[in-house]
Amino acid sequence: MEVQKEAQRIMTLSVWKMYHSRMQRGGLRLHRSLQLSLVMRSARELYLSAKVEAHEPEMPLPTGRSPDPRLHPPREPEAAAQAAPPDGEPPSPEPMDTQETPRAEETPSRCSPRPAKAGRKRRSSSLSDSGDTGLVPSKKARLEEEEAKETPSEVPDRLQPPPAQAEGAFPNLARVLQRRFSGLLNCNPAAPPTAPPACEAKPACRPADNMLNVLVRAVVAF
Amino acid sequence: MAGAGGGGCPAGGGDFQWCFSQVKGAIDEDVAEADIISTVEFNYSGDLLATGDKGGRVVIFQREQESKSRPHSRGEYNVYSTFQSHEPEFDYLKSLEIEEKINKIRWLPQQNAAHFLLSTNDDLRINLWHLEITDRSFNIVDIKPANMEELTEVITAAGFHPHQCNVFVYSSSKGTIRLCDMRSSALCDRHSKFFEEPEDPSSRSFFSEIISSISDVNFSHSGRYMMTRDYLSVKVWDLNMENRPVETYQVHEYLRSKLCSLYENDCIFDKFECCWNGSDSAIMTGSYNNFFRMFDRNTRRDITLEASRENSKPRAVLKPRKVCTGGKRKKDEISVDSLDFNKKILHTAWHPVENVIAVAATNNLYIFQDKIN
Repeated sequence: MEVQKEAQRIMTLSVWKMYHSRMQRGGLRLHRSLQLSLVMRSARELYLSAKVEAHEPEMPLPTGRSPDPRLHPPREPEAAAQAAPPDGEPPSPEPMDTQETPRAEETPSRCSPRPAKAGRKRRSSSLSDSGDTGLVPSKKARLEEEEAKETPSEVPDRLQPPPAQAEGAFPNLARVLQRRFSGLLNCNPAAPPTAPPACEAKPACRPADNMLNVLVRAVVAF
Repeated sequence: MAGAGGGGCPAGGGDFQWCFSQVKGAIDEDVAEADIISTVEFNYSGDLLATGDKGGRVVIFQREQESKSRPHSRGEYNVYSTFQSHEPEFDYLKSLEIEEKINKIRWLPQQNAAHFLLSTNDDLRINLWHLEITDRSFNIVDIKPANMEELTEVITAAGFHPHQCNVFVYSSSKGTIRLCDMRSSALCDRHSKFFEEPEDPSSRSFFSEIISSISDVNFSHSGRYMMTRDYLSVKVWDLNMENRPVETYQVHEYLRSKLCSLYENDCIFDKFECCWNGSDSAIMTGSYNNFFRMFDRNTRRDITLEASRENSKPRAVLKPRKVCTGGKRKKDEISVDSLDFNKKILHTAWHPVENVIAVAATNNLYIFQDKIN
């Protein structure tokens, strides 16, 4: 059961990271997206095998996307089973109900040890000693204004729908995430669980929490 | 540790000590992302040292010559030039921003006709450029599948063989290395050699694929070996043996049990580099908490050192550091849970001849040298 919970948590975390990676400067990174999808697949396989060992009964699976996942009870085991392709085959971008807590939203931001919290603009410093300040070139204004808003605490801002992209590594995932996440994750979940202690720079793994309050439909693009 | 260098340093036998030499950069706690150093490289003689940062700026340091008026500045690196190399660009057609971060700096040899360079910023392709032809290049590797949903790996690093100009290698996110010969065909999609170590099934986890991704690959100066860096280890490969590395060095094995947390805080995606010393007898790579590690290939001894402002007195000898991995923590040891994962050393460079090293710690550049120098 613990293994199942941990696998579920990692799956949800991976989906969040994939969504969040679209918000960063430069958009989706192919290598990062690939790595996240590999972790998701490993977690899903472990989750399913743990579930099979637990002998839980299989339930009928939804045929299409539900209009509002918040209206549906948690059904992630069945959806995960449907979405799991055989090994070696390319995954199909089917929707998968997944439970998620708002902690997964807050956790990555809190855990993020980004050193550049103050912003991206360069300060007046340089690598030179004091006698060489005359050689520092002037820098033009940045193109984007969004960096100023990108602080780890501003979770709602980061969940704004990303700009539409004509192409990407996982276009189906991108489109569905854009539709689903922006609507769902901006709402206030009912009675969110207590936020965990900050895990910044603490490498110990936390035990999995109950994930019941917010239902997020995740598309697994593999 | 023993490291054979040039210039009168004893070759092998007997330890020497690393001393602080210089540090460049601001001391601010709040670091602007633009100032984070993203690459460090000595030129072929070691007299020039270049850094690039995320803001697209390049700073070149030049080593001072011995001077009677400034006796202590012999061997010091001071700013020679700085310039804005890249600016952010915006591809309006694809709504993509092209960031200005300097990924790599490579110095050109001064005295030969090596006119080519490899560019591998693209995950799926490697292009070969003639330096005098700027509007087109040769595509020599293309691993993009027809259906992107079938993508299983990307290219992570590449490099030319130091002596055989037709030979290059590229590494993948799956932990494999392919050696290709440009004489065999125009498109090198069939490798000449394929290097891969079988996975240890007992250490399999959710994150096995991520930590096996190779973040850096470097040929030895001799051209006989190459070195790869993945998240937890450095491996030395003999080019004549493809089925396993000849040497494996664990950089920070104590992190293996912490991969879950490192995934949460994104540290598991950090891309560490590695480098050889001039004689290929030692290798160096970075870690967290501003630690960096050196491994002597002959004696099999290793050392952990720290780049910190506290140890920044001129010619101060660096004290070896140790991470406590379990049991009772000894004095001067640091526990794994106390490591600062914000402070990571991703980029290091070793002088091509002498025992002088440059270590990039976020926005600071530390220069260390051996005590004999």
